[in-house]
Amino acid sequence: MSRVVKKSPSVCTDLPLDNTDICNKLSLLKQLLISCFGPAGRLKQIHNNIGGRVISTSTSSVLLSALSSSQPFINLIRTSVLNHVSRFNDCGLFTAILCLTLLEQAKQSGLRRNVSIIVNKHLLGLCTSYLQGQNCGCKVKLDFCSSQYFITLAFSVISSKPACVLTEPEALHISKLAVQAFLLTVPCNNTGVARLGKTLTVCVEGHPVLDSAVFPGLLVDMPDIFFLNAENLHGRSLCTVLFSASLAGDLCELGDGNIELHGDADTDSQILDQLLELGKQVVQDGVNLFVCQKVIHPVLQQYLRGQSVTVIERLGISLMESLSQLAGAQPVATLHTRIPPKAYGKVKELTIKQFGSKTMLHIHPSGESAICTMILCHRNDTMLSELKVVCQKTEHVLRLTLREPCALMGGGCTETHLAAYIRNKKTHCLGIFCCSQTEYLLGAEGFCRSLESVAAALDHKCGNSLTDLTHAHYWTLPADVVEDHMENSLGVCGCGLVESCPSKKWTYLNTKYPEFSPAPVSKGTHLQVRVLDSFTSKLSGLQVAVETANLALDVQYIIQDTN
Amino acid sequence: MLGSTIINHRQHVGLQKLSALAEITRSSLGPNKNYKFIQDDTTGESTLVCSCFRILESLELTCSVGQVVYETIETHHRVYNTGSGCLLFLAGAWSHAALECLHRGISVRHIISAMSEGMEICLNVCRQCSISIKRREVSELCPFNVSTVKDSHAHQQLTPRASERPFNLGPQKKLKLSRHFRESESPSISTIHASQLCSYEPFFPDIAHIAETLSHGCTDAMNLVVKASQMQSECNQQDIAFDVTKVVTCVLPGLVEEQATVLPGCVVLVPAEQASVAHHLKEQHLKVALIHGDLAATYRHLGYNRPKGIQSVSDRLDLSRLSKEDTWMEKVVTLLLNLEVNVILVSGVASEKVIECCWRRNILVVEKVKASILKAFAVSTGAIPVTYATQLSKHCVGTGLKVSIWRDLSNNDRKRGTAVNITTDGLNCGLVTVILTSSVHAKLQTLEDQFWACAYRLHWALKDKALLPGAGVTEMVCIQHLQNEAEHDIRNPTESNGVSSQQNKPRTPANPYRDVVLTLMADGLKDYICTVMVNTGVFSKVGARAAVIQHLQDYHGTVGDVAAKFSQLFLHTDTCYNATPTSVESSETPAIKTYDNLCVKQEVWRKALDLVFLVLQTDAEVITGVDRKTNGAQEDLMFL
Repeated sequence: MSRVVKKSPSVCTDLPLDNTDICNKLSLLKQLLISCFGPAGRLKQIHNNIGGRVISTSTSSVLLSALSSSQPFINLIRTSVLNHVSRFNDCGLFTAILCLTLLEQAKQSGLRRNVSIIVNKHLLGLCTSYLQGQNCGCKVKLDFCSSQYFITLAFSVISSKPACVLTEPEALHISKLAVQAFLLTVPCNNTGVARLGKTLTVCVEGHPVLDSAVFPGLLVDMPDIFFLNAENLHGRSLCTVLFSASLAGDLCELGDGNIELHGDADTDSQILDQLLELGKQVVQDGVNLFVCQKVIHPVLQQYLRGQSVTVIERLGISLMESLSQLAGAQPVATLHTRIPPKAYGKVKELTIKQFGSKTMLHIHPSGESAICTMILCHRNDTMLSELKVVCQKTEHVLRLTLREPCALMGGGCTETHLAAYIRNKKTHCLGIFCCSQTEYLLGAEGFCRSLESVAAALDHKCGNSLTDLTHAHYWTLPADVVEDHMENSLGVCGCGLVESCPSKKWTYLNTKYPEFSPAPVSKGTHLQVRVLDSFTSKLSGLQVAVETANLALDVQYIIQDTN
Repeated sequence: MLGSTIINHRQHVGLQKLSALAEITRSSLGPNKNYKFIQDDTTGESTLVCSCFRILESLELTCSVGQVVYETIETHHRVYNTGSGCLLFLAGAWSHAALECLHRGISVRHIISAMSEGMEICLNVCRQCSISIKRREVSELCPFNVSTVKDSHAHQQLTPRASERPFNLGPQKKLKLSRHFRESESPSISTIHASQLCSYEPFFPDIAHIAETLSHGCTDAMNLVVKASQMQSECNQQDIAFDVTKVVTCVLPGLVEEQATVLPGCVVLVPAEQASVAHHLKEQHLKVALIHGDLAATYRHLGYNRPKGIQSVSDRLDLSRLSKEDTWMEKVVTLLLNLEVNVILVSGVASEKVIECCWRRNILVVEKVKASILKAFAVSTGAIPVTYATQLSKHCVGTGLKVSIWRDLSNNDRKRGTAVNITTDGLNCGLVTVILTSSVHAKLQTLEDQFWACAYRLHWALKDKALLPGAGVTEMVCIQHLQNEAEHDIRNPTESNGVSSQQNKPRTPANPYRDVVLTLMADGLKDYICTVMVNTGVFSKVGARAAVIQHLQDYHGTVGDVAAKFSQLFLHTDTCYNATPTSVESSETPAIKTYDNLCVKQEVWRKALDLVFLVLQTDAEVITGVDRKTNGAQEDLMFL
């Protein structure tokens, strides 16, 4: 007997931003994310309450994927930021915090929603064109002749994640490796279509960070190293064949349905015969390295090894693509036809490398291949998994520099600089909107404050956040310092490019200060920039934050099906 | 659904948990370890544990800090096999220090930077304190074979700088490589007497001596390690003093502990029927086949997918036909007989039928052989492991295997009745089996752990080619260095805080709390030494503390002395836990008789501090999958 369960009606929330529950949740989310922000950020332990693995992290990609909410409004913002992160891998926390602060400011200002939206949109345009323009004062042109800026960029990303628990020399070592790996993946030959290579990461747990290294070519885990005949490996070019089809000798391609088979028929041995036939052809064609993405039948393996062919099985799909690029071979997807000659590739040589308990086979490219492997070592798993995420992020950030060879000053300086720029600029463009001057100024003030509070979020010591009145860079003043000694205790600004001097004037953030046009830092400075942010991803983060905030401001009703 | 708890800042709950967890390891520090019973109330089962790692393993830690701790300890134990107790204890001691710092209002950033500095100081101390054992064990460095004459009485002849010379020197290629090996003529290199070496460096005559200093109270276990290493070097061509990867343990309950011993090759337990085959085969040169997988008709290799939906049809009824299994069996047995295989080592299991069939033909089948053993026999007998028995061919079969009955234990257990020793004759693979025995079943795990701890201590010492003064001496020097640094800060506050240094290093403003943090870190180490002293049973808690503090005051400012003199203080406790105090060498060897591993200590300290940093920097837990209805009552949860 079936029972009819009455459907409960959908829940409709009117004006979600006026809802106390949603506002509380938004501010909780903001608090949570702000506390993770920057190199001094706090970590979050993510676990599932029933004894699952514990992740310690402050990375937006890991954190936001775990932070699912019962409230669709929260998830709207979360997904939008996650989408940005999946595209650019960086500036996730910046985006989320800016978006949430913009919402908060819009609510505080008491402006009509559509006014806030228009003002935000206009100011975003102002920011983007300033950042992309020639005379942008917070941008650094990257010079591909020197690795210095790249190492700084990598170092800024890596040192911004405290869950990696790296000392400064360790962070520098990893930064250099990241840059080295990046350079290895950029192809040098000018002919034809240039294709970026790939960095593969292998994690080795329980070993010192300084043991981490980058190698050109591929390193493949070889648990059965003892099958390797060292004599076969040495310095000669190896003809290579790759199989993406399973060579396990089973009938895996049958699909559903029943098959009737004669009792005497031995399918296994028939397939095996076919496999051995394949083996014979490969040996005839002079193959020395036989690689399969999946399983290879032991008998075929034995046959091939007997013919002094090096066999690698269960390579996995992730390595397959890289290996085919490295060797210039085309993976063979079937065992039923003869292998075309152009499917074969070449590798230079094979060597064995030992990393802790892991024995790995190092496949050297025969030419230049743009494939490299990064071995990451760390003392424990928690820190290693964060380090892996951070390294992938760094790789992505470095790659983005190829698209736009510049970087933004980090450490909060870009945000305060932008805020000062808009404060100065806003007076010049009054009267172009369908809103009053007061409304516009109110909206612009909220926008600037949001930018400044993202910079201020970098400081977790309850110190004071300042900005200087010449370059509008970001400074922090330790809480226990008397104001008389200000210029002594300030040192340098967030990005490290401006030094404090007695003639300089500062103001606390979020206080009124006279408008001025922030000056770019003079070229003659002897200081080196210490913190750089990715230009492309920060720009996108800014856009995503403002657009998401605008979308959220625009939401009138939330209709939730509770069934 | 998701909840999150915010951890109160001044009373950091995570750090409190960490330091509470560390308390469980207090009694398992030092040479005199206490056993603990861990009882499961629901099942009534209990286990007897001794080491920190086993305690943590038996506890079900549900809190997130507990899991992070366990994960760290587990990784460490897997790689190093020793030092887990110290790791947890110091993590606790230093989290206590961090808590104290938070109480005094020191910011997390300052705590971390000062503690990292403190760690650098301690690691430097380790580097400076370490004593090289390189000269005696150069043999390990040597990658090539030199024709050598073995001389067991050669320990008076040493080459002083063999290891520092480049190996490819043309005219000087005759090198003396260790005390074990002496070339018949070595005109180019003068030899000096061991007594000369003794005068400027502690003298380690051989592995046995190094091992003794590393036994840390487990003399019996270490004796087995030494025996194993001797057995390895006897049958080894490759000049490796001790290869821990080629040691396996075999645990036999029911025998008294004194019967523990070391045998070459491997030891397997076989049932009575198989034992009769072993009897038949002993004293013979045997042929061996190695099967990597199961020995059964239905077995398929890993990754093989059995086809679904296949029905077998037949056009006639043939009752006389053999089943598939029987055909397979016939094929395999014929093959084995043709190849004259006497022993089959199987990494998986073998089907009853095969075992019986082989038994009738006097073929010994040994199941569940570890992969490492299979590998060792593959090397020493020349056999090639195969997945299917049908793959066997002449060149897959190894030769030169020997089987002997070690002991008949059949009155205990019918199933695993006889201990059979399998070796290779002549050139051996260096594989040795250590048999650990105890009449108390619950103690076996501990004995095994102790053995591995000792084995790895020796392994790391040989790998480091260096040792650290043990018995708290290194820690004592660290305390002194840390305190000196702290005092230096107090005496010259302007130097580190002032304007002058800031202009040099504008980005790293001096840490005003460095002295406090370093002192607290030193206190953690003090606590460690005191706990070890109390555990030896000689000192009371107060007494140990007083002795340590007194000692630090006596040798205030003189870094070098504190080590030597402190070891003397410790010495009378030393004799208490070394069951056999060294009598012969005691007059020649320096006062310190306990040593620690360099790399292990450094790793343990770093990992302990990593744990503290991870927990210290965490301010909230994010719990996923929380149901608001069930957990709604919990006040400290906030829902998103």
